Order: sequence, then C-alpha cells, then structure tokens
Amino acid sequence: MLLPDFITRHVLFAMVFGGVAGIGFMVFLIEFDHYTSSEAFCTTCHSMELAAEPYRQSSHYLPVSGVRASCGDCHVSPGVFAATWDHFVGGKDLFRQIFGADYDDPVINALHLPEAAFSARDWFRRNDSHTCRRCHEQEAIVGKRADTLEIHQQDAKDKTCVDCHINLVHRPVPERATYKRDAWNRMVEQQFGLEAGSAERLLAE
Amino acid sequence: MPPNLRCLLVVLSLLSGTAWGAKVSLTPDNWGHPAGEDCVSCHTKSSAGIAGQWKESAHARAGVNCMDCHQAEVGDADAITHEGQTIATVVSPKDCGRCHTTEMEQQRGSVHAEAVAVIAERMPAMVNNVAGPAIEAAGCAQCHGSEVNLMANGKLDPNTWPNSGIGRINPDGSRGSCSSCHGRHLFSKAQAREPQACVRCHSGPDSPDKEVFEASKHGMAFMANREKMNLDGETWVAGKDYSAAPTCATCHMGAAGKLPSTHDVGMRNAWNLNTPVSERQYLVVFDDGGKRELPESMSAPRPGSRVPKLDGTEAAVKMVATPQRRRDAMTLVCRECHGKDFANAFMTQFDEVVHLYNEKFGKPAQAIMQDLYSQKKLTPAPFDEPIEFTYWELWHDEGARARHGASMASPNHAWWEGMYVVGRNFYSRFLPQVREVAGSDAAGILERHLGSVEQHQWLKAPEKGSPILGVGNPRGGNE
Repeated sequence: MLLPDFITRHVLFAMVFGGVAGIGFMVFLIEFDHYTSSEAFCTTCHSMELAAEPYRQSSHYLPVSGVRASCGDCHVSPGVFAATWDHFVGGKDLFRQIFGADYDDPVINALHLPEAAFSARDWFRRNDSHTCRRCHEQEAIVGKRADTLEIHQQDAKDKTCVDCHINLVHRPVPERATYKRDAWNRMVEQQFGLEAGSAERLLAE
Repeated sequence: MPPNLRCLLVVLSLLSGTAWGAKVSLTPDNWGHPAGEDCVSCHTKSSAGIAGQWKESAHARAGVNCMDCHQAEVGDADAITHEGQTIATVVSPKDCGRCHTTEMEQQRGSVHAEAVAVIAERMPAMVNNVAGPAIEAAGCAQCHGSEVNLMANGKLDPNTWPNSGIGRINPDGSRGSCSSCHGRHLFSKAQAREPQACVRCHSGPDSPDKEVFEASKHGMAFMANREKMNLDGETWVAGKDYSAAPTCATCHMGAAGKLPSTHDVGMRNAWNLNTPVSERQYLVVFDDGGKRELPESMSAPRPGSRVPKLDGTEAAVKMVATPQRRRDAMTLVCRECHGKDFANAFMTQFDEVVHLYNEKFGKPAQAIMQDLYSQKKLTPAPFDEPIEFTYWELWHDEGARARHGASMASPNHAWWEGMYVVGRNFYSRFLPQVREVAGSDAAGILERHLGSVEQHQWLKAPEKGSPILGVGNPRGGNE
C-alpha cells in the first residue's frame, strides 16, 4: 500500500484516533441530547414535576394517535448542534434551580410561571415554532371542521403556530400584553389559601 | 297644547332624549378599524354563523366591524390578546355607547340596568337555601345578570359567563347587556321590537308577561296583523309608522305621537308590581345619570338634595318624576288608539285590582307573617317552613300574576291564573298553615289582621250557601 510521505505512522494514528473520537463525540452528543430531552431527565428537578403535571393531562401527552411529545420535542431545537446549544443555554435554569428562588415550592413556582411562559413563547416565536413543525406540517393541517384547512393556508399564512395556539400543555397564562400580575398573584393566593399580599412578599424574597 | 301636557312632554324629553332611537351622531371615520378585516376573514371560516349574521346587519352596511365593538385597552380588566389584537369578549353598554350614546344614557340606572341590585336581598336565600350556587349562573343571572369576571389565566369565569342578563355587571363597571334584547350579531331593530325579544325572561310563573300579552287583545291584534307592524321601519312611532297593535316595546319604550322613545324600560311604570305590597313609585334621576325609585309614601326628594342610590353611594337629585307623571306618559301611548276616557277607565280597573290585592291579601298576609316571626312561631331562616313557600308564592308568583294580568288586560291572568289562585292559596293553604304554626294564638293574630278587612267578613257567615260548587243544584241542571 502506497501512502504519501507525510502520512507517517504518527499521523495515521492521530487520524484514526481523531476519527473514532469524533464519531464517539457525536454519538455522545446525540445520546446526551436525547437523554436530556426526556421527561425522565427533566423531572429530576422537582420544579419541573410541577410543569409536568398539567402536561400529563394534555393532548400532547395523551393524543388519540399515540404519538407522544416529550419535553424536548417541543422545547429543544431539531439538529444536534442546535440541540446542544439549547441545552447549554438551558444550563442557566439549572443554575437558578440551585441558587435561585425555591422553584420546588408550588407557590413560588406558580408565582414565577408567567415569566417562564413569556420567555418560552418568545423562543417559539423567534424560531418560527420550529419544534411544532417537527410534527405539524402547516400545509397538511386539515382538521375536523370544514374550514380548518382554509384558515391554516390563508389566514395563518404569515403567522407562527404560537401566535394562535398557546396554553395547550401547561397551566394557562395570558399573553404578556394583557397579563395582569396583580390578578395572577391574587389567584395564586386564593389557590393556596394565602392571605392577600403574601404573593408580593414571596416574590420580593 | 294644554299646559300640563306641555310640562309632561318637557319632563319626558329630559328623561328620554329624542323622538325615536337616536341617529348615531359620529361620523364614519370613527369606525372601520383596520384590523377588522382579518377578524372577518378568519371568523367567516371558524364561526360562520356569527360572521354571517354580522354580514347581514346594519353594522356591516355602515362599515362597523368586529374590532369597533370588541377593541379594548391593555389595562382593561377583561382585555385579552387575540391574534395580536387587544380585545374583550364581552361588549358592554359602555362599548355600544361609544356610538349609541343616547340609548346608553337612558338605559343607565333603569330597572333593567339595576336588575342585579333589584334582587340583591332575595338572591342569597334563593341560591343558598332553596337551590345551590349552580342555579345562580344558569338561572338567576341569565336574566338579572352576573358580575362578569376575567380570571387571572385570561379566561372568563364560567360561573359568570356566558351571560347576557339585562343587569349584567361588566368588567368595565357598566351595567347591562344590550344583546339581551338586541341579539348579537345581527342587532336587528325588528327583532327587538318583537314581543319575543322579552320572552326569555318575562315568562313563567313569576313574571308571565309573555303569556299575559298573548292572552290579551293587544297580543291577539299583533299576531293577526304582524305583517302590518312595519317592524323593520327606520322610525317606529306608534300611530304614525304602525297602528295594528302594540308590542312590549311599544308601551314600555316606544315613541307614540309626541311621546319620545326611551331605553329606560321602567320609566312609564307608576307601580311596582313584583313586591309583597304594591306602591306607586317616584322615579328619582340623579345628576350623575343614575336613577332609582322611591315609594310615594315618602315625600319626594327636592332637586339638589342628596339621596342614597341603589348601590349605597349618595348623589344629588336632578329631577323627580311623580308616579302620576309616569302614568301620564304610559297613557299617552294608549291615546294613539284609545280615547282619554277609555284609557283612564282602563287604568282605574287596573289600579282597583292592585288595591284589591294590597288590601285584601298583600298587607294582611305580610302583617300576619311579621307577627309569626316576632312571636317566634317561625324561625328567622326563610324557606325552612312550608308557610314561607306559601307566603312567597302568594305575592311573588300568584300575586304578581294577578297584578300583571290586570295591567296588560288579560282577563284570564287577572283572574283564573292570578287573583283566583291568590284567593285559593290564601284561604286553603296560608290561613290553615297560620293556624297550625300559631296554635292557640292563631285566632288572635287572624282577628287582628283580618277582622277589619271587609272582604274577609264572609268567613264569619259559614251558614250562607251557594250553588257554585255544583253540589245539590236546586235547579237540577245538567252540568
């Protein structure tokens, strides 16, 4: 076998090792993204268990078709590099989980939920709802009612999925523009039997 | 024109506004919101029914679109974000009043707008004792109105909505629901002028106005001549635009001759008829546009004096319409078809039935009940003793039926469905139950309250017979 002169034994060794290591790294990333996108991984933080409760009642968890969307199917971008980046950025949530407010407390969690929802919606809009489009092909949305197809092809043409479809999975939160913090606080207080004004105190802590 | 009639018309004009549904005075550049086209495009597909109704409406012809009525400000209590627009699902009188100002101002403070306050004292016992909270949303509030609440999650509270009760308390603080009578999204004039517009609430045992109207000569004339009623007319003045028959709207709201129309539906009512004892009522108009009624037995408040409103706050009195003025206004409607003597004599017949109910049944029954409570023969809780249902139905259902029957000329409801049932109840249920709960004190209580009522004296002559029951008919008839 004839090899160019510069392919010395060491170079050959480095190429083979590098190649195998590279493949191994990619496999690791894929497996890492896959595992860290799973419901089992996400809910290892108790705060995420609170987000998962309504999810398990939703049509994305219990669809007629049986096609179940996991956390990452919606919240992690397609593509291994984008997915890895999303997990890297998501690391700030882990930081906050450890050093931030006590999100494991259902009251604190509910009080902070609107901001989490707004930021998730921003992310969906920024990405033209690309994770929705993993499964839902706008051209193919026929629906059960006569005009669903027409609406999705005409009126929704320049819109992104979350412009119309929000509050499908998690606890409903109004859109940011018309959301009222005061009303939200009172609702949480009422839900947990807290006295009026305690929400503001808890948020300030 | 006689001076007192002229004076009446001045008062009525101040109370009412113009001669018929006021022309909207805004120019069309106040409506036609640019985002409205998108609403129509999508809703034509997603909810073709309401879009279709709107397309046939005068609103659509004038270029008034979804956003013109549904637009909201971000800070509004019920504002939501929908397809990028800030809107409110509930359209309140305040929203309609952006263009229909006269109607909104007339409606404000009317017995319709205050329909929640009117029953505020009765609701808790009905909802908490007799039924349960579910009936408030599906029953009471569907006619009287709910206090609509947008939950913090951006959805309307199903305990308070859907609701188009006439006295609905809206998130913007206004009271009423125009769509109660002007069904959305067609908002047809003709539909609001139909007797059917009122039937959803003005029917049934306690307010059988549908049944009363249908059984009256007025109802008969309406059904026989419906096509002559000009229900679609641009103006609708009784005696000018139509004369075949009156509908509910004709007498209670409509323009007639020189009498202006009004969206204060109770303005022409001299009596309150849905109370244990009827009394003629002043209509007090406050300088902030609010209104309330006060019984004739009180002296009329002077203009400028401060009087509590129904919600408890005080306001300065702008003017007071006496019960007679209110009656005169109603009589002006009659006069488009009937002579003065006819109309006045009809009112006398009506008033006599109210007096009969009051003096023979209403006042004595109320006084007897007060005695039973003060002597602790009954517990203070309503509806835990049979006599409380008996008494409630005596005035709230049967007594109201008799009075409404006489007020709108249905002989059947004045008598067989009304005063006859009052009498039957009074003699065969109420008095026996009084004797039962009061025991040995019954004779004293009954003598105190019935002893001097002339029309109960026949009870003291039990030996005086009559062939009415058909027992031992002395003439041997074939009945």
